[in-house]
Amino acid sequence: MTAEAVASTPTKPDQKAKEAYFTASQSQLIWHRFKSNRSAMIAGWALIILVGMGVFAPFLSPYNPTVAGRDVNYENGAPEIPKFWDHNGFSARPFIYAVERERSIKTNFRWVTTINKEKRHYIHFFVKGWEYSLIDFVWDLPGEMFDVNFKALTLDRHLFGLDEGQIHLFGTDASGKDIFSRTLFAIWTSLAVGTLGVLISFVLALIIGGVSGYFGGWLDSILQMFTDAIRTVPPIPLFMAMAAFMPDEWSSETRFFVISIILGFVGWPTLARRIRTHLLTERSQEYVLAAQLAGAPAGHIIRRHLLPSFTSYIIVDLMISFPYMVRSETALSFIGLGLKDPVNSLGALMQNVSKADVLLNYQWYFIPVLFFIALVLAFVFVGDGLRDAADPYSGVKK
Amino acid sequence: MAQFVQFTLQRAAMAIVTLLLVSLIVFTLMELVPGTCAERYLAFKNTQGSQITIADIEAEKRRLGLDRPFLVRWGSWVGNVFIHGEFGDSCILRLNINQLLADKFWISLGICLVALFLAYLIAIPVGIISASSKSPTVNNSLRFISYLGLALPNFLLALMIMLFSTMVFGDSLTGLFSKEFRDAAWSWPKFVDFLEHAWLPIFILGWSATAFALQTVRALMLDEIGKLYVTAAAARGITGRRLLWRYPARHALGPVINSLGFDLNRIFNELPVVALILTLTEAGALLIEALARSNDQQLAGAIIFLLTASIVFLNFVTDILLALMDPRVRRGLMG
Repeated sequence: MTAEAVASTPTKPDQKAKEAYFTASQSQLIWHRFKSNRSAMIAGWALIILVGMGVFAPFLSPYNPTVAGRDVNYENGAPEIPKFWDHNGFSARPFIYAVERERSIKTNFRWVTTINKEKRHYIHFFVKGWEYSLIDFVWDLPGEMFDVNFKALTLDRHLFGLDEGQIHLFGTDASGKDIFSRTLFAIWTSLAVGTLGVLISFVLALIIGGVSGYFGGWLDSILQMFTDAIRTVPPIPLFMAMAAFMPDEWSSETRFFVISIILGFVGWPTLARRIRTHLLTERSQEYVLAAQLAGAPAGHIIRRHLLPSFTSYIIVDLMISFPYMVRSETALSFIGLGLKDPVNSLGALMQNVSKADVLLNYQWYFIPVLFFIALVLAFVFVGDGLRDAADPYSGVKK
Repeated sequence: MAQFVQFTLQRAAMAIVTLLLVSLIVFTLMELVPGTCAERYLAFKNTQGSQITIADIEAEKRRLGLDRPFLVRWGSWVGNVFIHGEFGDSCILRLNINQLLADKFWISLGICLVALFLAYLIAIPVGIISASSKSPTVNNSLRFISYLGLALPNFLLALMIMLFSTMVFGDSLTGLFSKEFRDAAWSWPKFVDFLEHAWLPIFILGWSATAFALQTVRALMLDEIGKLYVTAAAARGITGRRLLWRYPARHALGPVINSLGFDLNRIFNELPVVALILTLTEAGALLIEALARSNDQQLAGAIIFLLTASIVFLNFVTDILLALMDPRVRRGLMG
């Protein structure tokens, strides 16, 4: 071992470090290696922040992201950046200028929005605003029976807001909805679609890959053929075909579920194949033979002996497949087959960007795109870092 | 040699079985699209002012053979495709699909293959450098640029480039041909014109493909580079590029060749979106048209089937190629 070669003159703390190294559990080792990877750590923090933004979206967003929260006085409004000083002096409390809208003979009877630089609106923290429920299950699924309507812990506190008027950090869209609030909710939706999709494909992959890898033989051949056939069909056309028979009248919740399910059903083959390959090599190991001799049933051996042998690989794979799920969702929404505009998903928000009007006049529509890029990059870097960390050979060199 | 022929035949048989399976999947999906060809055609006639009755729809269904059981229809569809290479008529456009697609499909395939080739041309050296380099700055910046290809949605990239070129050059770079060549027969000037337009979709498709390829190459290299045979080779005094290329890279690139088909799959995936933005007139755009706008099952099915068939074919070729290149696989075959 290189560790022994390096420590030719063992001192006390060195001995201790070595002991800690040799007695460390697998997860401790992975965490240790992950911590020393700076880019992965930065990405990890970014990921935590982004996920946090999604999870606490109702609290963080000052306005309701749906039409209910729209600002009629500020449609297609530019981002308002809080200031601490201006020509009227300094203020410890950040403020923005008041927005006034008027229609008169002077403006040719059209609504004209002006910014009044003499009037300030101050930002307050933990203000009362629109109501939201922490536990909120309102799903309008097809069929009366499945409708769920359950609300609890209704709150109305928000991180920040104005005493009068409205603040739009990222501006507003064509109907006056706050883009900042929409972005936060979109992160949540996209993460939820991704998670659901990854979970479904994970369960499918585990069952199909597990059976095929453990039993081998003709069952394996048939399952592999099936897996390969699914794998060769390009997913987006497949999504498109599946999404094409989603009736237009479906509610956004139903669409959301169906899309996650489609993503899951198309995404499993890669993972299933990897699980199979791993099981094929592991099942001839002695510890499996020992378990078999002790009379353990197949399900028990797969669950208790084989799966733990590569949990870390599975976690890494899930992490890596996550951005692809999010990406597929956005691509699907972008071509108009996924979630549609009133829903706040990153794909739906990005769909707005492609209009020439937006490109030339309302560039703040691009802000959600930056969040999407950050989200995908964070996932990819964390996934890479985890893969390097989970590889037992990668640490030995150092 | 006999074993090699046997192996090739076996693979070819497997490819055909896969194709049959895929065709069943595609056909089933197309069946699930609401409405049938007959209804759609008569609905169109209805808008033209003729009176339509249920009996007309039934007659049209019988004419198109839609009253037969599902598996029989699948059988006749597959039979036509495999034996005559004939996909039938499009539901909406009422045109022969083979004529409709002909050039467009080959253009799509060409664009995707070139994008794939470029992706690996960049990903293999960069992946090897990234896996072997000790400097975190080199490593991280290389990875950052390539992953940006993954994170930047391709439609956004296309939009940005279009916007930029419209503002700077006054040309929006859309389409695949200039006006004067659009309906002309293939000739050298048309080909040059095509290349002038095709570089943009190739670049956009290639960038995100590079990100993926790089991730694969890097992971495979990292797996190999720590192994004992590399240490042994280094101990014999082989260093630098020679060591990397002759030892770990040779092992790492085997699986890469194997996964080429699936990389092509991923590029096909992106094609419709890019085609939509750049208003390309090729199969990807036609697919979106058929699926998202007009629900043209026949046409969509034909395109998806053709795309999948080219992936299956590439998989078959790479299998053979790998057997030729890798002595371990070859030895395994020859016994």
